[in-house]
Amino acid sequence: MEADRPGRFSDGRSAAMRKVVVRVLATGLEIRGADGFLVAVWKTGDLIADGDWPEKRGIRLRCASEPDARLAVEDAYVIREALPQPPAPPRRKRHALVLVCLLGAGVLVGLMLGLAPGSRLLAHLVPVGLERQWGQSIATGLEGQMKACEGRDGLRVLDALARRLAEPLPAERRQVNIHVLRSKDINALALPGGEIILFSGLLAKVEGPDELAGVLAHELTHIGQRHVTAAMIRALGVGVFATMITGDASGLVASGLGAALAGAYSREDESAADLGALSLLEAAGIGSDGLVQFFRRLETMEGRQGQVLAWLGTHPESGSRAAAVEARRRPEPHLPALSDTDWQAVKRVCSKPKP
Amino acid sequence: MSSSTPLQRPFAHSGGSGAMIRLALVNLVLSVVTLSLWRFWGKTRVRRLLWGGTSAWGDPVEYTGTGKELFIGFLLVLFLIYLPIVGGLAWAQVLLVAGNPLGGLVMSVLYLLTVLLVAVGLYRARRYQMSRTRWRGIRGGQTGSGWGYALRSLVMWIAVPLSLGWALPWGEMWLARYRFNNTTFGDRHFTCDASASGLYGRFFLAWISGLLFALVAAFLAWGAAEVARESGLSEARVGFLFTVTLAVVAVVVLALPWAWYRAGFYRNLAAGIRFEGSRFAADAGAWRLMRLVAGNMVISLFSLGILRPWASLRTFRYGCAIIGVEGEPDFAAVHRSDDAGPKTGEGLIAVLDGAGEF
Repeated sequence: MEADRPGRFSDGRSAAMRKVVVRVLATGLEIRGADGFLVAVWKTGDLIADGDWPEKRGIRLRCASEPDARLAVEDAYVIREALPQPPAPPRRKRHALVLVCLLGAGVLVGLMLGLAPGSRLLAHLVPVGLERQWGQSIATGLEGQMKACEGRDGLRVLDALARRLAEPLPAERRQVNIHVLRSKDINALALPGGEIILFSGLLAKVEGPDELAGVLAHELTHIGQRHVTAAMIRALGVGVFATMITGDASGLVASGLGAALAGAYSREDESAADLGALSLLEAAGIGSDGLVQFFRRLETMEGRQGQVLAWLGTHPESGSRAAAVEARRRPEPHLPALSDTDWQAVKRVCSKPKP
Repeated sequence: MSSSTPLQRPFAHSGGSGAMIRLALVNLVLSVVTLSLWRFWGKTRVRRLLWGGTSAWGDPVEYTGTGKELFIGFLLVLFLIYLPIVGGLAWAQVLLVAGNPLGGLVMSVLYLLTVLLVAVGLYRARRYQMSRTRWRGIRGGQTGSGWGYALRSLVMWIAVPLSLGWALPWGEMWLARYRFNNTTFGDRHFTCDASASGLYGRFFLAWISGLLFALVAAFLAWGAAEVARESGLSEARVGFLFTVTLAVVAVVVLALPWAWYRAGFYRNLAAGIRFEGSRFAADAGAWRLMRLVAGNMVISLFSLGILRPWASLRTFRYGCAIIGVEGEPDFAAVHRSDDAGPKTGEGLIAVLDGAGEF
């Protein structure tokens, strides 16, 4: 059988290409130069298919024992027929795809399981002084945007009430500053460290000192459990993580994912703060009736349009919150949260001091 | 070889758009399924198609990089560089909040470092790509240092605004010379002595047209405001007309002179590159270059970046079509090099800059 085929050969040691004649033997390919000198012998078992050579209707081959050498053979049908077994095609790896899918799933699961505990742990590693400084700078910023209420007696009463409620908290969490800001929003915020912001809209809606104590206890729990710092770390973590995984430095993916996850986690924090408020109120002897009442009233207001109920935030089911708090209530003798004169001072905290 | 050697066009590209678009879409699906982690393997497949479709002197070019290398490179940079920088920035932020002036200093140093690292990353990515490129079984490579390149880039970034743009041709050519003088094939270096001296005529036109464009834009904006006031047309309508007119003016006034300059740049650069006795040439023309760039922009924008591999394919085809070589280099003198190149690839640029990848 005539099995000599012209071809091109590079030996992998230099970039030269030489024209060769390829002869098929029983054991493999014999590659000779145009001058007849033997250039290489490639064993059949070592041959690796390396694609087609379209313009010459040929194939390209490599050899496992000489990985850098390249051979192209014209009119390769002869070669294909003459070889005892077809040259092995390069192995296509499918396991990369499977591994990457598993990796992606693992990352997702790890994020879901590890994010909340991880951020809580990290939040407790943040030095108290730093957290406090941070909270104070945010509070100063807010006071610059909205007017602060400066009824001195009222603020003093609020501070005293907060201190009384904060008694069971760890010592470094007990120092709280209360700011009252003029705003129609029915809202209260806990900032990192020990700053609590009450909006005048909330003070106007609160009926009686027990309800006010309930709101304060709720915010104090946020502070005691460092929810805000943990939330910031969580948001940062999600952002860094999303950027890391997707390599998207523009931050689009990060901010989108952060917003989507923030709601889910803040719900957990709110329930935790409700429960914490319960124990703070009981320890102070005030009882949780006020908190329940406040929730109940917010619930009836929720139906109305145009009401700004920001205190409910991402968690609008005040009915179920009230029920949850009520379910854990223990009947105990109540002490008044504030005396009548003190309560009046709080109510007047935002009115202009009389000349 | 003498300059009378006939010019050859040894490069050809046989890749079809259909196969590339199909691959880009498959990569998209797999990336979505894997939280985008597939991108390293997807990119590798795209490159295999881009490189593999290219042939030089009748023999195909091979891309031998793997997705695993890109992925490991990415992870290394993520943990050793990106996270420390993010941590440093957070610390600087804390210092700033606390009113410590050190915070501002730390922050500016870190920003400068990040910008430099992008340039280092670009250079190292090129080293990786060269080392994973084979032809006739011989590997390419790149010498030189990423930091050297980054510092040169920094000099250029400072010089260009200071000179009102006039340092750009010189700076670009300086960096290109550094890249090509450090490019190797086997054990031999490319050399590049291209200079920007012949380019300033074209750059003058591009610079003037930029000035002209700014004037026309200002005039149009003033005119649009007047028209809106007098005719009582709605602002949105006038704004739309203004934008369309400005875009047309930009193409006429800005794009063509700029493409003319870029084409001249590539001609100059190619004419300065030599390898083993052969001189390169690039038959770059302004009109065709503008069509290529505009087409690639349209493809990338309208597909939200998904069909960027197709744009890369167009660039490869264009390169193969215009690059010529005077004579054939003495390939028998080129031997394989022992330098296997970096073990992992492109992490810096994958982390710090998502753009500019094939």
